[in-house]
Amino acid sequence: MKTVEKVVNPVRRAGEQSPGRIYDEKLKVRARREWRGVKDTFYDYTRWLYLLSVLGRFILVPRNVKGFFRYRWMMSYLFVPHGMDKFTIGLRDEALRIAHTSFNFVIADVTQAIANCFRGDRRVGNDKAYSDKCVITDENSMVTFMMGFDRDKVHTILREVPTMFASNIFHQFNVMHYLDIAQQYGIPGDVCPMPEAEAGISIEDDFCVLGCCAVQNNTTCDGSLMGNGIIAKRLDREYGIPTFQLATPLRHKEPDVLEYAAQEIRNAIAFVEEHTGEKWDWDLYFKAARRVNYATKCRIAQLEINSTPYPQFFGAAFSLYNDTNYMGNSGRDPAFVGIDRKLLELAEQGYKAKRMYAGEYRHRAIVWGVQPQYVIDMLYWMVQCWGVVPLADMLSIINTDMIADEDTPENREQAYRDMAMLNMEMIMRNHTHGGYKVLLDDLWDLCEKMNADVVMMWEHMSCKALTGMHGMFEEQGRARGIHVMWVTHDLCDPRVFTRQAIRDQVNNYMRTVMREEPLDPSLENIPDNEAY
Amino acid sequence: MRDLKYLNYFEKLLQEANNELVAKAREDGKICVSYTCENVPEPLLNLGNCVSIRLSAPNTGSLDIATYYMTALLCEPSRALLERAIEGGFNFSDCVITPDGCTMMNRAVENMELLRTMGKDNPKFFHEYMEIAFKNTENDVNLAVLQCTNHILKPLHENYGVDVSDTAIRESVERHNRLCRVIRAIGEFRKGDRPRITGYEFHVLCLATYVCPKYLILDKLEETLEELKTREPDDRPWRARVLLVGSEVDDPGFVKLIEEQGAFVCCDRFCFGSYPGRTEIVLNDEEDALRQVCRHYVQNCQCPRMMNQEKVYSRKQYVAELAKEYSADGVIYEQVKFCDPWAYERTLGSSMLKLDYGYPVLSVDRPYNIASSAGQMRTRVQAFVESIEIKNIQRGGKA
Amino acid sequence: MKNLLKIPLYLLLIALGFFVVTFTVYFFNLDMKATAMLAPLLEKWYDRLERKQYI
Repeated sequence: MKTVEKVVNPVRRAGEQSPGRIYDEKLKVRARREWRGVKDTFYDYTRWLYLLSVLGRFILVPRNVKGFFRYRWMMSYLFVPHGMDKFTIGLRDEALRIAHTSFNFVIADVTQAIANCFRGDRRVGNDKAYSDKCVITDENSMVTFMMGFDRDKVHTILREVPTMFASNIFHQFNVMHYLDIAQQYGIPGDVCPMPEAEAGISIEDDFCVLGCCAVQNNTTCDGSLMGNGIIAKRLDREYGIPTFQLATPLRHKEPDVLEYAAQEIRNAIAFVEEHTGEKWDWDLYFKAARRVNYATKCRIAQLEINSTPYPQFFGAAFSLYNDTNYMGNSGRDPAFVGIDRKLLELAEQGYKAKRMYAGEYRHRAIVWGVQPQYVIDMLYWMVQCWGVVPLADMLSIINTDMIADEDTPENREQAYRDMAMLNMEMIMRNHTHGGYKVLLDDLWDLCEKMNADVVMMWEHMSCKALTGMHGMFEEQGRARGIHVMWVTHDLCDPRVFTRQAIRDQVNNYMRTVMREEPLDPSLENIPDNEAY
Repeated sequence: MRDLKYLNYFEKLLQEANNELVAKAREDGKICVSYTCENVPEPLLNLGNCVSIRLSAPNTGSLDIATYYMTALLCEPSRALLERAIEGGFNFSDCVITPDGCTMMNRAVENMELLRTMGKDNPKFFHEYMEIAFKNTENDVNLAVLQCTNHILKPLHENYGVDVSDTAIRESVERHNRLCRVIRAIGEFRKGDRPRITGYEFHVLCLATYVCPKYLILDKLEETLEELKTREPDDRPWRARVLLVGSEVDDPGFVKLIEEQGAFVCCDRFCFGSYPGRTEIVLNDEEDALRQVCRHYVQNCQCPRMMNQEKVYSRKQYVAELAKEYSADGVIYEQVKFCDPWAYERTLGSSMLKLDYGYPVLSVDRPYNIASSAGQMRTRVQAFVESIEIKNIQRGGKA
Repeated sequence: MKNLLKIPLYLLLIALGFFVVTFTVYFFNLDMKATAMLAPLLEKWYDRLERKQYI
């Protein structure tokens, strides 16, 4: 089997050495926060204060209080600071700052998204003028088709992000209720729980109701595509909100699907123009395109840093930021540029100082597949408990091509193809769909490029696109001498695999196959199965 | 009723994918074009010397090897096909053409390709994957034309020298239509109080049209049609008439099981059934045949994967119209286990058929081979039949 | 003038007090412990709300 050189951290971690001690099985949150040494604890404290100020400002608005008591999923946001702790387990120095910078920005963005939802929601703020300029989209929707609309005039509402996706990260049990509702109405328990929960939210009438129209997408999987029908029916028949289904071809590497996809983008734009009364602005589009390109350049630079012995970018905070930037933003908000720059500066600084996330790096891993929502701290845990450093995760391996960003007549036509390409190569589906090559061959190429000896394979058991290649991963990994460490889960249903059951799969592999002892034994068993 | 002359013959043909007619076609020098999804335009797979063979895995037992490759959570048809391919059951294929329709079936075929299960001795053998339409718009027709050109016509022509001209397509469509007319005419005998053919018998005949070379069975189907015209129906009344909707039913035993409980399967609206699969393709002389064939498939497609809301509603309306046309008392929505598209379609469809159209609905999932859970299914169907009878009594009708 | 000089001192004391209280809440995770106690009550509240389920 392939081996990599062990890298030992010459610097002892500041503060406490065994963060596993701060968990208490009697509590549903941690017994206390982590002591990270004076400097980093103080920094973490100031970031906590900042988060409280964001949440405080949100709840001072009366309609947000009304919304809080109307929607069950809002309870999750009480646990945002708890989420922050999950995102920063064991982190120090630049790593801590990278996690906070990205996480806090995402929180501010999600908080604004909830505030926008409540403002237009017919049951809460009922600001009709505002709602009439809102376009609802899916949680897994690339919003490229909104890049040329003025953000002050047309508001893109990714309604499912705060309702399901983000809320589940802070509160592991919160979607169980919606899954139960969906299954009560006959959807089987073996489909992907994410679109199933979203269908359950719709059935339960727990989505905010706003917008002049909605654009749905088939960007993820058969389940997501099918769940949209249930959601659209309610939007259409009960609330009178017309929906456009933006079809996105699956075989995105084939040139003969591009024109179809580009035409779908044209149709989606025309639909938004028709329902909002606003016009597409090419100047705005190309400005956004330049920001998309800047984010792409930053992402390429990040990958280069991670291919060295001192990787700086990984973990949930980073991948969540990437999701938000690439998919939910798509260059529309200039604020992301500053964050991109800051994150890269921090990483370069960390790389120059040879900062490490753990006492030693024994293995270099590519993380493939889809991570579970409720064990969001897993990658930080893996590096600190076992010294397996994640170099890249599948969800962050997205487009690296530049798109046309100068306004010329030819580029206006090219722009539709660029938007279509970005849409087709949306996070996750750019590997889970489009033929086996993007799922298998891309992985092995990445292992080579990043010098990885382990693939940490998230096997989301309901993701048929991934599990359908299970045997091939095994066989091809074996042929290449790369360890394939399977970690099975059910995305957002902790009843199927608990957090510890998920970690135990790594524990077992490391002990029985690798025959290693943990770097930090306090983390091997954490009593957080019942924690939020 | 007296047994149909060729029923036993057709039943035997369904016992294995590589049946005697497939072997005969190969002896005749035909090119066996294997496929896995109803959304691939069938006439294009039957051009010139080609015969389309829809892959199926009758009498599936163990799925151990396929489960290793694809895990236990992929739908049983996809695993059954992979298992059968690994066993060598599809070695008759000269190529496999698969749409990236439902993910699981696509993965099954990709595994077949990676494992080199077919075409080892045939240098011309190829796998092709197609994008298929998502909506019923003209943009989707354009997509279908391009995909059929690049992934069916070109490879067939380049590898096997198949004539893919407009004339050849028209000829193939005509042969296809002849078959459709026969099957639909046979299906008509399911109408009325005293049907002359059972749902099981019809299903056997219809299924054979997908898994056998059509040119070798057409005469027997036409003879069966003539036989039905004079066949004396049973006096025994059925307890209920049901319309069967859902995933592919490769095991006619499932339909037999339903009918053994007294529920006559009066119409089929499932993948590889006669609705919409055996609808004639009407061509005009103004437009090229390929585009018209593609438009037919895009417009008539009832696959749950068609995502625009107009299609979402019209699929249920289509079921309701069939139920009315065939005087169904109830609808059975079935889904083969782990099939994502039909899992959602079954949920929404069973709700809409009940609430919007007023039909009693039984919503079930089932294994690929019904023998593995016949008892459970029998109980579900019995209860459904009884509930329909009780409703009839409450309405003042006969039990 | 003397009183004016005291203002920074008061501000410093207030800031110090703020720091001591909030840092105690932060470090001992009192904010999340209180929230965890509140959550079951909220769940009961959400369970009681009337919903119009529709598919």
